[in-house]
Amino acid sequence: MTTPTAIASGALAGLRVLDLTDYTGHLCARLMADLGADVVKIEPPGGDSGRRIGPFVDDLPHPNRSLFFWFYNFNKRSLTLNLEAPRGREILLDLARSADVVIENFAPGRADAMGLGWERLHAINPALVMLSMSPFGQDGPYRDFVADDTVLTAMGGMLYVNGYPGRPPVRPLGLQGYHPASFYGAIAIMCALFARDRDSIGQWIDLSMQAATAGTLEHVVGGYFQNGVPERRRGTMHWSRFFRVGKCSDGYVMHCTIGDWTSLIEWVKSDGAAQELVDPAWEAHAHRAAHAERLFDVLDQWVADRPRDEIVARAQLLRQPYAAVRHPEELFDDEQLRARNFFVEVDHPELGKKFLYPGAPAIMHGTPWRIYRRPPLLGEHTIEILRDELDLPADELQVLTAEGVL
Amino acid sequence: MAMSLEGIRVVDFTWVVAGPVATRMLADNGAEVIKVERRIPGYMGPRKVGTQPDLNRNKLSVSINMGEPRGVELARRLVKIGDLVIDNFSARVMRGWGMDYESLRKIKPDIISMSMSGLGHTGPRNNYVSYGPTLQALAGFTRLMTDPNGEPAGYGYSFSDLAGGLAGGLTALAALWHRKRTGLGQFIDLSQLESLTGFIGPALLDISVNQRPQPPVDWRAQEMPAAPHGVYRCKPRGDDDDRWIAIAVRTQAEWTRFAAAIGAPAWTTEEKFRTLYLRMRNREELDQHITRWTAECEAESVMRLLQAAKVPAGVVQNGEDLCTHDPQLRSRGFWPLVKRPDDKDTAVSGIPYRLSATPGSIRRNAPETGEDNDYVLGELLGLSVEERKQLMADQVLWP
Repeated sequence: MTTPTAIASGALAGLRVLDLTDYTGHLCARLMADLGADVVKIEPPGGDSGRRIGPFVDDLPHPNRSLFFWFYNFNKRSLTLNLEAPRGREILLDLARSADVVIENFAPGRADAMGLGWERLHAINPALVMLSMSPFGQDGPYRDFVADDTVLTAMGGMLYVNGYPGRPPVRPLGLQGYHPASFYGAIAIMCALFARDRDSIGQWIDLSMQAATAGTLEHVVGGYFQNGVPERRRGTMHWSRFFRVGKCSDGYVMHCTIGDWTSLIEWVKSDGAAQELVDPAWEAHAHRAAHAERLFDVLDQWVADRPRDEIVARAQLLRQPYAAVRHPEELFDDEQLRARNFFVEVDHPELGKKFLYPGAPAIMHGTPWRIYRRPPLLGEHTIEILRDELDLPADELQVLTAEGVL
Repeated sequence: MAMSLEGIRVVDFTWVVAGPVATRMLADNGAEVIKVERRIPGYMGPRKVGTQPDLNRNKLSVSINMGEPRGVELARRLVKIGDLVIDNFSARVMRGWGMDYESLRKIKPDIISMSMSGLGHTGPRNNYVSYGPTLQALAGFTRLMTDPNGEPAGYGYSFSDLAGGLAGGLTALAALWHRKRTGLGQFIDLSQLESLTGFIGPALLDISVNQRPQPPVDWRAQEMPAAPHGVYRCKPRGDDDDRWIAIAVRTQAEWTRFAAAIGAPAWTTEEKFRTLYLRMRNREELDQHITRWTAECEAESVMRLLQAAKVPAGVVQNGEDLCTHDPQLRSRGFWPLVKRPDDKDTAVSGIPYRLSATPGSIRRNAPETGEDNDYVLGELLGLSVEERKQLMADQVLWP
């Protein structure tokens, strides 16, 4: 475990991002912060809606104790600003003058109505890149449709193919209708920044979260355009027909029949099972796929009275891509994740405690992708940003606070 | 105006899905992505129709045999004129070819090398063999995405590859940005398991902070709590009885509008459904009422009715709904066409975001293996026709 330091030196160091998103889009700016950008999260005076979402530390609801908020907002700074107030909007425009990126996910048209739309921001800072994320995009017949994560996974084609035939579709673990949109958004921002470097222009990015979900499918789109019929739910059988879950004596394993057939079948045979799999026809991938149900039924029988970890350990020795079907709790005991310092201890001095956070997807050797700042308390950086960076006088800060602008 | 990433050249050793997803992000925005590959196994499907156009459109392919020293030499010459080298092998493969970062930086000091292996290049399990379904099993998706009967269900596809691909695409762009600023390259050791694990963050914090084992996902709150919340079976469409509507009623205002929109039946005024908390407590009964209603309606009409009342609702769209009927995706041009070998068109998924000044584009179908040998070896590396023929005869190039 590593203890993060307070100084960012990531790949995006030097970029300033203003994050106006609510909890459906707040991963996007965090990704940029993880990579070193200075991200200022603008929160309404009562706090971002994400602060009201659980789970909470020790199950005590409080704006500074939401683990949901924590995960999506570490590495950011928090500035409270009432954008309903004219002076609040003026301050935002001042911040936008020196920002590189603004990310917002108001309902389409709302930013414009508030005087914070693309035209306005572009006029005051022509080099600005603005990302607008919305459920269905800024135009089209569904532009004003509303959605939560469930509706996005439904409309994006993700939900329909999860689960068992004849049974209801199964919803993803985690908010996978929101997350891809945030990644696509960050990628789009990077592209716009490359173009800005070359062409000296800012630009506006219109991202549809539904399309981002539809752009995160694997076989659904290609399968339809190839065969003209929609892909169906198949239980745990992967659409490639090389993977299925099997039940063993103390849990479940993910079978895989795409690896080296000879060593798999020698092993199964040596256990006294699978006599019907000795036919050389099984050596062909196509045959295994065509008769996948029968094949997995035999393999299920083989693993039924064996412990999960024993099967997986042996399989991996033979380079068979088997895996344990784990509970997420087991990730914290994973020796591989531990060896790579994936979980990072983050200090919360206000609580007098340190907590393990899931860390970076990659070890970047030149410019670490990392956690260097615990999630901000509500409005924690309001004064340092407005006084030290925007040079607002102390007496105005007092008035603005009294007026509820901050 | 040129596309955002024009001028960036990627030497792409990746295959299967995660790597190609990462390089697709770059190719869609104008980077020149050169796949270095052998003919892929038949079970991966054809190149010009199906999933491959989705994964590999806009890319070039050169069929270099990396088992031959002269093949490796050609690849090293590509690196010399490249900006980013990307693979999804375990550590020993690139090292075996002398193509690991330390070797590559001697050829091109500012090269960026990214490896997108299953579990990373370091650690006791760096040689673990994995695919999307195996990683999803390890990360908890398979176990917690359960059928109502409690059995594991998980994703019906390799979401893991998409998660890894998105993380890879963003990481590569960040490293390229840093190099633009400083002139420095670097090595990136991406773990697909770590990328995927980052997609369930709040659940992991609940484990590490509150020591709470995570229950199956079901329809419990993973964000703003809602009730009604779930998928509800709708009237069959023709002989298709697999029609569902997803509904999420979060606030009291949404509940009031929901009740009015469905005609204010008596049950909506019952005490047990009066508040969100009560509706969540009495979810089963609530869902039964709603299912009785939706079963008589077409999914599309439920969506239109509820959306008109500003209640989150959407058809659980299958491939056909998505690719042909959905007027929104169509109106946003999300299904661009590419050419098949028989000169007919086939559609691919488009780019989910639009850049106002330098938008990406879909310019060509996925290449067959070696389709761009002449351009890559001839124009980029300056080999003559005779030299290329000889390399083919010597099996330094795959046919």
